[in-house]
Amino acid sequence: MTGQPRTAAADVVVLGGGMAGLVAAVRLAEAGLRVVTVAKGHGSLRLSPATIDILGYGPGRVDSPAQALPGFAEAHPGHPYAVVSPAAVAMSVQWLKEHVDTYSYVGDPSANMLLPTAIGVPRPSAVAPETMAGGDVRTAGPMAIAGLGVFKDFHPALAAENLQAATAAYGRPVQARPVLLDLPSAGQPDFGAVGLARRFEDAAFRSQVAAELRAAVHGEETIGMPAVLGMDQARSAWTELQQATGRPVFEIPTAVPPSVPGMRLASALHARLRRAGGRFVLGAEAVGPQLSNGTLTGVRISSAARVAPRMCRWVVLATGGLASGGIEVEVSGAASERALGLPVHGPGPGDAGFLPGYWDDHPMETAGLRVDSRLRPVGPGGEPVYPNVYAAGAVIGGARPWREKSGDGISLSTGYLAADAILEEAG
Amino acid sequence: MEEGRHANIRLDAVAATAPIECEVLVIGGGSTGVGVARDAAMRGLSTVLVERGDLATGTTGRFHGLLHSGGRYAVKDPQAARECIAENIVLRRIAADCIEDTGGLFVTTPIDDPGYADRFVAGCTDTGVPVEEIGVAEALRREPRLNRRITRALVVPDATIDAWKTVWTCARSAAEYGARILPYHEVTAVTRAGDQVTGVVARNQGGETVEIRAQVTVNASGAWAGLLAAMAGCRVQISPGKGIMLATNHRLVQTVVNRCDMPADGDILVPVRTVSVIGTTDTLVSDPDDWAVTRAEIDQMLQAGENLVPGFAGSRVLRLWGGVRPLFQDHAPQESRDVTRAHAVLDHRARDGVAGLLTITGGKFCTFRLMAQDAVDAVCAVLGTTRPCRTADEPLPDSEDRHYYVLGSRLAGRERTLLDEQVICECELVRRGRLTDEMARRPAPSLDDLRRAVRLGMGPCQGGFCMYRAAGILHQTKHLSAAEADRALLAFLEERWKGYYPLLHGDQLRQAWLDDWIFQGVLDAGHLPLRAPARRPDTETAQST
Repeated sequence: MTGQPRTAAADVVVLGGGMAGLVAAVRLAEAGLRVVTVAKGHGSLRLSPATIDILGYGPGRVDSPAQALPGFAEAHPGHPYAVVSPAAVAMSVQWLKEHVDTYSYVGDPSANMLLPTAIGVPRPSAVAPETMAGGDVRTAGPMAIAGLGVFKDFHPALAAENLQAATAAYGRPVQARPVLLDLPSAGQPDFGAVGLARRFEDAAFRSQVAAELRAAVHGEETIGMPAVLGMDQARSAWTELQQATGRPVFEIPTAVPPSVPGMRLASALHARLRRAGGRFVLGAEAVGPQLSNGTLTGVRISSAARVAPRMCRWVVLATGGLASGGIEVEVSGAASERALGLPVHGPGPGDAGFLPGYWDDHPMETAGLRVDSRLRPVGPGGEPVYPNVYAAGAVIGGARPWREKSGDGISLSTGYLAADAILEEAG
Repeated sequence: MEEGRHANIRLDAVAATAPIECEVLVIGGGSTGVGVARDAAMRGLSTVLVERGDLATGTTGRFHGLLHSGGRYAVKDPQAARECIAENIVLRRIAADCIEDTGGLFVTTPIDDPGYADRFVAGCTDTGVPVEEIGVAEALRREPRLNRRITRALVVPDATIDAWKTVWTCARSAAEYGARILPYHEVTAVTRAGDQVTGVVARNQGGETVEIRAQVTVNASGAWAGLLAAMAGCRVQISPGKGIMLATNHRLVQTVVNRCDMPADGDILVPVRTVSVIGTTDTLVSDPDDWAVTRAEIDQMLQAGENLVPGFAGSRVLRLWGGVRPLFQDHAPQESRDVTRAHAVLDHRARDGVAGLLTITGGKFCTFRLMAQDAVDAVCAVLGTTRPCRTADEPLPDSEDRHYYVLGSRLAGRERTLLDEQVICECELVRRGRLTDEMARRPAPSLDDLRRAVRLGMGPCQGGFCMYRAAGILHQTKHLSAAEADRALLAFLEERWKGYYPLLHGDQLRQAWLDDWIFQGVLDAGHLPLRAPARRPDTETAQST
């Protein structure tokens, strides 16, 4: 069953369909390599608020990631940012901006915006969709935070009150007050973010919302709304809502998956991948390396209840960390890398992976692969395990992405650089 | 039924500046205390109950949910077995809506004494516990995941019971009969006039002091009874016995499964609502508030489960907890004949020369009604009155139709109204109105209280999806400040972490990390204004302000 390769050879197999994998796959495919992306599921990108957080806390709040990164890398030698230069981060951000064409991404690593979350915390993000940037509390004026009664995943009163308190504590108070829109729900009281985003693609619905907003919002207020203003048509929905209300409007990412902005970003990158001729195989899982005399010549892929090797010259391993299942922790407490069985750096069996306090720095959080300067996973001696395997994204250990607000920057830059390294070798 | 005509009964908000006067004061809001309050109120006594936290948060809310048939004690403790089967029959009659009639199986696994099954049958027969042997093939047909190497299978009328629902419906019934139920009232002093206990001073959630004066005070504080008695200058020797339990993310069995051997650790697997619970252990601890669970205990439970249901150690474990049994030891001569009794009513006038104080302790959840009856009989004796107990016959609220709870009840209730209302917790199908009703009923509910009350966030995602919603709704419905709503959310996150951090692995770790992404990553709850002081020293911006 596993004897002969049954599928056409590729130059590169990318394992994982999240941000890191898609960025690498698009770059490689656009450079003319034959790329097959193999993903077990849709990837965490669709759950992501889709802001590009490079470094938000280290642990104090970071104003400029570009300036903070060198010192941060020095203080955190095992961190992915210790092998990714600030220049590479900036290049990858530029690349992303050029590759998302459904709407613009704004901002850059020189300064963090402070964008309100659905609970009203001003969250540091360096780069964000244009639909969100108007919420930046560093510069914003008074706000009306508008929710919809049919939407349970956004609570404007709690968000507005916290935002006032938080911005006051940060030294620049922003007035924020809640507005609850009462819209005809067509007999359906319970919308998820995706269902609501689809309704916003309907012009009649948008004009109803605009009319309600015009009645509720005061002259100088900026309008904050949950990030459900359309799916593929977000730019026109957002633009039209601003015109119809005569006020700036910004989106606030919602808490509960899936995330509409994450789906927009995933869809934009998938479109790029298709255009470049890259293949995407969903519902398949890598179960080990295909070896020939100790050399990795492909990846063993489990799909539809059978295992077959997929031959390739290079592998980009972007299967994600603890949340995505790229790194798995067994009942014994041992952490392992699922796809290729690479050595994981982290707490071992018997070590305390998690500490008793929720806010503690848990040793297991940073479990993952160690990589060399070219992003190749290394063994305990620091030597690459396979010369033709590159890691990207959360499968690389050493970061606390959600506390640092660093996950997007790590995934984007390592996906970008893994592709770089392969393109260099491919000539 | 999901809720009934009693749903509108509210809890006492609090706080009288004048002392509250009553005939009977009950200390402790577990099953026993609430049972005593209901029984006393039904006999027409003016009754007040105080509990330091929410109702059913001590031992009652921390057991495995097994309504014993008595089989477990049939060989070791026949008196306990007789009490269990008698109360099993009574509770099925009065608390049907809290009970799922799962039935129970005692199975002889490869590690069990093969001779025990015959002693078990004899013990059941002697104590009146109905028992019937079925073939191994039939047992495996009923429970396909069971260890296929079992050699005998015996059916008994075990069932599962929802402790929170039982206590809350008891409390509502007690309130209907005029009792005042005061959760979040911690006793700070027991008052005495000479050798007579006259009541207590309690402190409520707002830090206010409430004085309660009673003719008789009943110490129903379970594992804490020794500490409470000491406050009155009396002595009760309680040996707190810790037991731990683990809940898996779905039901591995549909019947209560017990190993057919002398009671041991990890030998019961109980299907409760949407989960399976394995238990338990028995370790003496010095402090009844010490239920910390060790990694070794977790491994022991996982291995024990493996013997009942092969593959158990690989199942997704949602949560773990420990409960502390009130094991009563008393060497006072006048009690010696009662050594085998499961529970005891102590009159401190005879024991310590202090009148007006009774302690009810020992016992098991399954016999809480009987314990309450014995305690209130003793109260009546002290008050010099004779009033018959009616709790064995009068059904609890929502159990009047005597229909057992079935697993699909909540789904069936939701299906009719699916398009009419929001579902706030998808795992447990909690609709918005059910949640806001519960919020309205309580003076200052925490998200954890709501979790126990309506099972909000008890499913596989452990509140990952619903707790932001619940915090937002709580903020709005109870007119809280954002800081109070934030505090509730942060307290929930911290409490939940305690309930699962030692066992995070596999798929449940992925779930926990997704939840963590939502709260720390997307919402940035770590930087809520409430948490700002802790973070400020290392925050440049904050330092400059």
